[in-house]
Amino acid sequence: MYIVKRFLTMLLTIWVIASLTFLIMKMIPGDPFASDADVLPEEVVENLRAKYNLDEPIPVQYIMYIKDLAMLDLGPSIQSETRTVNDIIADGIPASATLGLQAIVVALVFGLFLGIIAALNHNRLLDYGAMLFAIIGISVPSFILAPLLINFLAVKWGVLPVASWGTWQHSVMPTLALATTPLAVIARFMRSSMLEVMSQNYIKTADAKGLSSFKIVVSHGIRNAILPVVSFIGPLFVSLITGTFVIEKIFAVPGIGKYFVDSIFNRDYPVIMGTTVFFSAILVITLFLIDISYRLIDPRIKLTSKGDS
Amino acid sequence: MKKWLLPMSVMLAASTALTGCYGGGSAEEETSGDNADSGDIKQEIVVNAMSEPPAIDPALATDTTSGWVLDHIFEGLYTRDQEGNPVLGVAEDVAVSEDGTTYTFTLREDAKWSDGSQVTASDFEYAWKRVLNPDTGSSFAFYMYYIKGAEDYNKGNGSVEDVGITAVDDTTFEVQLNSPLGYFDSLLTLWTFYPVQQAAAEENENWAAEADTFVSNGPFEMAEWNHDSNVVIEKNDDYYDKDVVNLDKVTFELVNEATTYYQMFKTEELDLVMTLPTDVIASERENEEYVEVPYYGTYMYMFNVEQEPFTNAKVRQAFAMSVDRESLTENVTLGGETPAYAMVPDGAETPEGDFREVGGDYFKENAEEAKKLLEEGMAEEGWSELPEVTLMYNTSENHKKIAEAVQEMVSNNLGVDIKLANQEWGTYLDTTKQGNFQMARMGWIGIFVDPVVNLDYYLGDSPNNRTGWVNEEFDSIMAESKVEQDNDKRYELLHQAEEILMTDMPFMPVYFYKNNYLVSTDFEDVVYYVNRYPHLKWAEKTN
Repeated sequence: MYIVKRFLTMLLTIWVIASLTFLIMKMIPGDPFASDADVLPEEVVENLRAKYNLDEPIPVQYIMYIKDLAMLDLGPSIQSETRTVNDIIADGIPASATLGLQAIVVALVFGLFLGIIAALNHNRLLDYGAMLFAIIGISVPSFILAPLLINFLAVKWGVLPVASWGTWQHSVMPTLALATTPLAVIARFMRSSMLEVMSQNYIKTADAKGLSSFKIVVSHGIRNAILPVVSFIGPLFVSLITGTFVIEKIFAVPGIGKYFVDSIFNRDYPVIMGTTVFFSAILVITLFLIDISYRLIDPRIKLTSKGDS
Repeated sequence: MKKWLLPMSVMLAASTALTGCYGGGSAEEETSGDNADSGDIKQEIVVNAMSEPPAIDPALATDTTSGWVLDHIFEGLYTRDQEGNPVLGVAEDVAVSEDGTTYTFTLREDAKWSDGSQVTASDFEYAWKRVLNPDTGSSFAFYMYYIKGAEDYNKGNGSVEDVGITAVDDTTFEVQLNSPLGYFDSLLTLWTFYPVQQAAAEENENWAAEADTFVSNGPFEMAEWNHDSNVVIEKNDDYYDKDVVNLDKVTFELVNEATTYYQMFKTEELDLVMTLPTDVIASERENEEYVEVPYYGTYMYMFNVEQEPFTNAKVRQAFAMSVDRESLTENVTLGGETPAYAMVPDGAETPEGDFREVGGDYFKENAEEAKKLLEEGMAEEGWSELPEVTLMYNTSENHKKIAEAVQEMVSNNLGVDIKLANQEWGTYLDTTKQGNFQMARMGWIGIFVDPVVNLDYYLGDSPNNRTGWVNEEFDSIMAESKVEQDNDKRYELLHQAEEILMTDMPFMPVYFYKNNYLVSTDFEDVVYYVNRYPHLKWAEKTN
């Protein structure tokens, strides 16, 4: 019952987002057919408007849009004249998702590792080193890091190609650039969570029982400390796999990140709607799945989530 | 320890599994250095086209990136020689009726589609009528309005039967115009007039969306199109003039970030890049790989002649005279642009020589003169103080730098303080179209090379003319020039029209565009047209 209710809320959320986006989008001044400096004769523009159903009244356009959306048809792109929005997303998502998944893996592996090392060496040199790295990782934006990587790895040392897409070598630098900030965030998160767990009584009990410190750290420490990190991974995961404007642009990755931004500049209405709805759908579905999995894994979760943590 | 390793190895496995899913790219292995040593050079070039071509379809393309690919894989009745002049292409002969309105083209028998079949007159008929069909929604359909019945059909007032486009037989193609058109050959080099294979287009409505359904008739044919990543074209062995084509393969990479493609050129991942980052132009200018060519366009500030103070012609002239274009192009824009004192850029060949050189400059910069004109203008209008002026531009670093320099120059030379405002491009076009500006930036690039393309911009009924300036004399001379069959007289009329425009000055020209490229010195015979990106039909790799 809960799942059904939750599922319906999810559909409702997507519908609200789609409607709001539609409304806001129609309020921005501008016209998709004037994206070049030359303005076309009015009759030509009329033909174009008719082709994209923009000659209909806005409520009719809205109903047509929602109908198509229900059939998972996001419509034709105005800017990219021979492709549909479904094509654009289908062409772009493999590259974006590959990059995003790789970045998540790198961020998790090294972030957790760094966080744990820092926590276990609390207030010692390793801790300071790890946290210094984390602070740098958080404060250096990816659009600074990316050119630095290109300058050294590609231009000076020539070990990797500068940009473009096609082989695994092409994905190394964008993955690193994309992973650094989440890596640093995860490391700090994990460190504080781990410190808290390690001061709990059950850790002392385990120690008193005579368990090896390795076992204490792995099966009692990490296992408990990692839970808050998991909840933070959901939204991060969604934002990484749906592409990033800056990284994809700098490394010429054929992902969908740029469409989120360019579509607005081009007033490419179907693409604005399509990318927004796609992103929110993925986000809402991921949150839904995480929610369900919590309840399946740990029935207490709803009771304890409000109180102590 | 084993427990430790498990999650790690799972993650590693996941990351190696992921390497299987890189989309599209054809990572061809280079076959060692043997080829180069034996003097057998791989005839391949990798150029940067910056962004995904929106439509590689003759009927739908409106932009230079799509046009760049189209110009290589298609060929029209006319094509261009290495100097950029229109020459017969798919047509081997043309007969023009005495009144100049009926063109009868004889098509080459050996013109072939990339699937080996013949390019016929009915392919042209099909393609052109497809452009005019209102359902196609072609933005460039109006370039065909010179053809009889075309405008009515495209606007939904006439039928396709009345359009003056007829395939008489396989190799005879007849076109009827409303009136004679002096630059019809030039116009026919535009991609909108390319043929489309009827069979391919009818079989698959989306034939132009993916590489494998493409059929074309130019020097190259479509091989791969990895959306947002690259477009690959290969030599078309069915092309009638294939012996002049040296390259086997051209890859258009789609790298949008200036610093990135500049570095890709430096690491030899790209052989040709354009639109260099402004901070490197100064240092690259001495480089032998640097190429700077005129681009057939004008960067200008429009005056709204319906809003004070630009209702007065003398005030407009004063503003135009107070800007030091030499200094602006040398210190601010840095791309080698040419200071502009007229509307039509360099590059339009006429029997007397270059149109710009024949026409000369229409005004000189002179601070003293400008001040005098401003005072006279203000006296004519009875203003004791000049109404406040705001200069608008669309949001961009470069436009901002130029506007700030102009603001400074007008302040120093004219003693007038102007304000600056900027808007994002889409909004900006709307605002200027509605006439909500006093002075606003605009650029105009000729889609084909004839002064008429530039001067038409300021016709009273031109949808581009945002200035509110309507001059009957100008309009009537332009109309006259279009039906004038004697080319010398036609250019004379165009000079007259430009003079009227430049005397009244509903805009002030700032500079004529230049394109700058970095091109690997390994390539020869890359051709630079003034209104297109480099043409590679004749290009050859020599090293």
